[in-house]
Amino acid sequence: MLIKVDNLKKSFGKRTALNGVSFKVEAGQIYGLLGPNGAGKTTTIKILTGQRRADSGQALLFGEKVFGRQEELLKKVGIVPEDANLYERLTIEQNLTFFKRLYQCSDELIDFYLEKVNLIDEKKTKVKSLSKGMKQKVLLVRALIHKPEILILDEPTSGLDPASADSLHKILLDLKEDGITILLTSHNMEEVDKLCDRVGFLHQGELVASGRPVDLKLNYSDNRVNVLYYSNETVEENLVKKTLQLDDPETGKFIAELIQNGRIKSIHSLEPTLADIFVKLTGRNLADDGF
Amino acid sequence: MMAFKRILAILIKEAQDIRSNSNLLVMYLMPILFTYIWENFIPDMPAGFGAAFGLIFLVVMVGMYVPSMLIAEEKEKNTIEVLMLSPARPVEIFVGKGLLTFITIIIISLIINIMVGLSFNIQLIIIIATALTSLFAIFVGMIVGMISPNQMSTGVVGLPIYLLLLLIPQLSGIGISGVDFIARFLPTYYYLNILELTLIDRVAISDLYIHFSIIAFSSFVIFALLLYIYRQKGLLD
Repeated sequence: MLIKVDNLKKSFGKRTALNGVSFKVEAGQIYGLLGPNGAGKTTTIKILTGQRRADSGQALLFGEKVFGRQEELLKKVGIVPEDANLYERLTIEQNLTFFKRLYQCSDELIDFYLEKVNLIDEKKTKVKSLSKGMKQKVLLVRALIHKPEILILDEPTSGLDPASADSLHKILLDLKEDGITILLTSHNMEEVDKLCDRVGFLHQGELVASGRPVDLKLNYSDNRVNVLYYSNETVEENLVKKTLQLDDPETGKFIAELIQNGRIKSIHSLEPTLADIFVKLTGRNLADDGF
Repeated sequence: MMAFKRILAILIKEAQDIRSNSNLLVMYLMPILFTYIWENFIPDMPAGFGAAFGLIFLVVMVGMYVPSMLIAEEKEKNTIEVLMLSPARPVEIFVGKGLLTFITIIIISLIINIMVGLSFNIQLIIIIATALTSLFAIFVGMIVGMISPNQMSTGVVGLPIYLLLLLIPQLSGIGISGVDFIARFLPTYYYLNILELTLIDRVAISDLYIHFSIIAFSSFVIFALLLYIYRQKGLLD
C-alpha cells in the first residue's frame, strides 16, 4: 500500500486534533477523508507530508516514515493545498515553469495538463485575474507536472461552483485511470461518494467509520422502502407514496397484497447517503464547525 | 549542480515577480533619486558625496526591506508551504531571495557611482564596501521576514531597526555622546565612514581594512543569528 496512517495522535495544547487515526490507501485507489471543519483532516495531511510531527503513531508514504525523509519521498507526491497558494503576480506559465525548474522535470507535461484542464489558452494570463475554479485547476497541474505517484488534495472543490467542481471530479477520475493514487479530504459527501473507492469519517480527531461507500450504506441502512401505489383504481389521481419499514412483518403482507391486486407502481429501497451515515454516527451535520 | 539550478529557479521567479511589484520597484528607485537630489540640489555638497546618501539608503532600506518583504509575503500568502514541500531546501530559498537583492544592490550602486562620475579605484572600494554591508543588511532583512507573520508587520518589526541603522550613523559626530556610542556598534557607521573617507578624503583601500573587517565580522555574527532563529522558528509559522 502507498499510504498508511497508524494510530496517529496529535494535540495542540489541550486540544486533541487526532486521537488514534488509522487508515490505509492501496495503489490506484481514491481515498476520501471526510469530516467537518476542525475534524483533523488537514492535520492528518500535514503530518503525512512531514509539515507537522505526530505526538505518536506512524504516517508512512511508500512504506517509509515521512518525517525526516520528506525531501526524498515528497518528490513522488503531488500536493494540492486548501489555499490557492500561487504567485498571483506571475502568469500561469511562469508559476508552473518555476515548479518545473525546482523539480527538474520536462516542459511537456505543463502543456499536456493545461490542455487537459482547458487552460492552455490562458497560460500567459496572470494568476490574480483567474477565477477560483481556474486557480484550483492550476494548483492541480502544479501538483502533477513532476509525475507523482500519489496525489494529496485538501478540500479540492471547497468554494467552487458546481460546474467547476464537476470538471475537477472528471479530471481526478481520469488521473485514477492513469494509476495515480489519490487521498483527498472533503466535507462534501456527494463528492466523496462519487469519487472515492474508500472513505473514512473523521470526527473530532477520531476515525468513526471507514470502508467502501457501498458497504457503509449497506451497514448503516435502516431497511426502509418507498412504495408508490394506487389506493383504488389504477388512475394517476389515486397514486399514494408510502415509506415502509422492511423489518416490519406487516410490510411484506401489504406489498404482497398490492402486487396481487396490480396496484403497485414502483418500489425503491431507501439507501442512506454518506451524509445520513455521518449524522447517525456523530450526531452532527457536516456543515457544523468542529471546534 | 541541482542546488544551483534550484537557486537559479528561485532567482528567476523573484526577478519576474518583482517586475510587477510596485512597492519594491519604488524602493529600488529611491536611492538613485536621493543621489540625484543630494548631488544636484544641496548647496556646498563636495563633488560625488551625494552618492553617500543614496548608497546608505540603498544598503539599509533596499537591503533589509526587500528580503523581509519577500519572505513575509511568502508566509502571508502561504506560498512558502508549497515551496517547503518542493525539493527546494530552506538554504536554497534564502540564497535565491538574498541573491536577487544582492545583485540589484550592486547594479544600483554601480548606477549611482556612474551618475556622480567616480573614478574606477573609488568605485571598486565602494562596491566592495557596499557588497559586504549589504550582506549584513540582507541577513537582518531575512530575520525580520522570518519573525513577521505578514508584510504589514515587517514595518512594525523592521522600522526601528532600519531607522537605527540608517539614522544613527548619519547623526554621529554632531556632539550627542549617546549617539556616538551606539554608532560604533553599527556596521552602517563604518560603511558611511568608508564612503566619507573615499569620496571626500580619497583614501586608499589599504587604509580601510579595519572598517572592512568590522563590517565582515558583523555580517558573520548576524548570519549566525539568522541560522539560530531559523532553527528555533523555521519558515513555516
